[in-house]
Amino acid sequence: MYTEPLQRATLWLEKGLNTVFSQKYNPFYYHGALPNFFIWALFLSGLLLFAYYQPTLANAYASVHYITYELPFGNLFRAIHRYASDGMMIFVILHMMRVWFTDRYREYRILPWITGVILLTITFIIGLSGYLMIWDQEAVTLANITFNLLKSFPVVGAPIAEAIMAGKVISDYTLTRFMFLHLGIPLLMMFMLWLHYLRITRPVSEPPLPLVVMMAGVLFIFSAVFPVGLGTLAHGAHDATAAPILTGPGSVATSIYFDLLYAWPQYLAAQGMAPVWVLLLVLAVPVVLLVLPYLQKKALRGQYAQVTRENCTGCSLCYQDCPYEAITMVDRGNDGTRFKRLAVVDAGRCANCGLCVGACAFKAIEIPRRETGSVLAEIEASLMTSTS
Amino acid sequence: MTTENNKVIGIVCERSVDFDGKLDDNGYLLDSPTVKIIKVPCSGQIQPIMLESALKNGASGTFAVGCRMGDCHYREGNKFCRERLIGKRMPKLKPSVDKRRVEAYWLSALEYDKLSVMVKDFVEQCKQLPAPAASKK
Repeated sequence: MYTEPLQRATLWLEKGLNTVFSQKYNPFYYHGALPNFFIWALFLSGLLLFAYYQPTLANAYASVHYITYELPFGNLFRAIHRYASDGMMIFVILHMMRVWFTDRYREYRILPWITGVILLTITFIIGLSGYLMIWDQEAVTLANITFNLLKSFPVVGAPIAEAIMAGKVISDYTLTRFMFLHLGIPLLMMFMLWLHYLRITRPVSEPPLPLVVMMAGVLFIFSAVFPVGLGTLAHGAHDATAAPILTGPGSVATSIYFDLLYAWPQYLAAQGMAPVWVLLLVLAVPVVLLVLPYLQKKALRGQYAQVTRENCTGCSLCYQDCPYEAITMVDRGNDGTRFKRLAVVDAGRCANCGLCVGACAFKAIEIPRRETGSVLAEIEASLMTSTS
Repeated sequence: MTTENNKVIGIVCERSVDFDGKLDDNGYLLDSPTVKIIKVPCSGQIQPIMLESALKNGASGTFAVGCRMGDCHYREGNKFCRERLIGKRMPKLKPSVDKRRVEAYWLSALEYDKLSVMVKDFVEQCKQLPAPAASKK
């Protein structure tokens, strides 16, 4: 299996991190929770920026300029917002790579994986709209690249570009649309996060306090030491029309978003690849990620935990301990026992892990690949041979 | 010495410490020949009754091995196993069980060497203990 060396590499890396952070605060053990820290940092720093930002062609750049150079601590908040977005991206990608490398992304985990790919995609869109809102030279270049790529797509490309632009040309309404994307899509993100957590009992959604303090400290110091500044006012930014530039004038600021989303498409375009192919390649990334879990052979082959009705007392210990919400307690009707409820396993959600077996004190639930009886027999057999 | 069984039973998660090439044909550790290793899919499947049964049948000690805390493949297996052994989660290890004969190790697939040293210490410790009361047999 191709994931095995990757899994070993992950374990090796974590072994190293355990010696630095200790097992209790190893950031890799909170890879899913750490992006939530950045969501909070982005929300709080974004509130202040939202209070001063003006989404019009004439004032967008000026208001960002005001926040950066005149508002007390404005530049600090902008830096926090920018670096938290990079941190979010780094940890989201680490999270994705870890669940992929350790083979925790398919079968019973398919819903978190699919919603995760959607979350990754919308995280990119939120980041992109954030860069566009600044409306300096780089943002104008970026807008041109984005709209031209979109328009190159046959039939649906142009209408989508016009919907985001709010018309055939860039206008005041375009910036309102950018702000709508930047504030509205996070609401979609909250909904997707709910789906992301839906089949996980007790999700680890918060990193431990010492890790939060450490992350906040690093973010704060980094933001104070490396202010983000502001690019120049774009030439003709007040009446920018979507000129047909793909590799536009001026360099686009280097950042995680740009490197991942724009550096390689820009390179391909510069090599003479048609914009539509570049766009298709960009769109292929999430599609490949969505298909990935189906490329591996199934590990479970339809096996799942089996409940023995006569032994089940309806105590609900397995129901409480199941980490994937695969067990429900149902009314067992009048079946001649004095018990009221019965554990029922949802085959599609069951990981065949045996945590319910460990929780059961009545021999009422078993996983087919390793029955309790076989473990007990092995224990007894090995002790018998030595005494005889 | 003749009346006491020197065997130690280890019930281990197959995703934690990697025993490839470390066991003989009967599942005993090459490093510590009295230690029998029994594999289960996840340490979360280990019922306290399994460890109790090992001691009841005359093992001098018994231990569980799971992945590093925070890194269970099935999210919470090692955490639950630990809680059951220290009496914080149902079903609990019986209070009457001699705790000096029960151990648990939480290590990743790469950490066999660490486990080997600790298991050797544990085997020695069990040897030093007085023979279990006759009622247990």
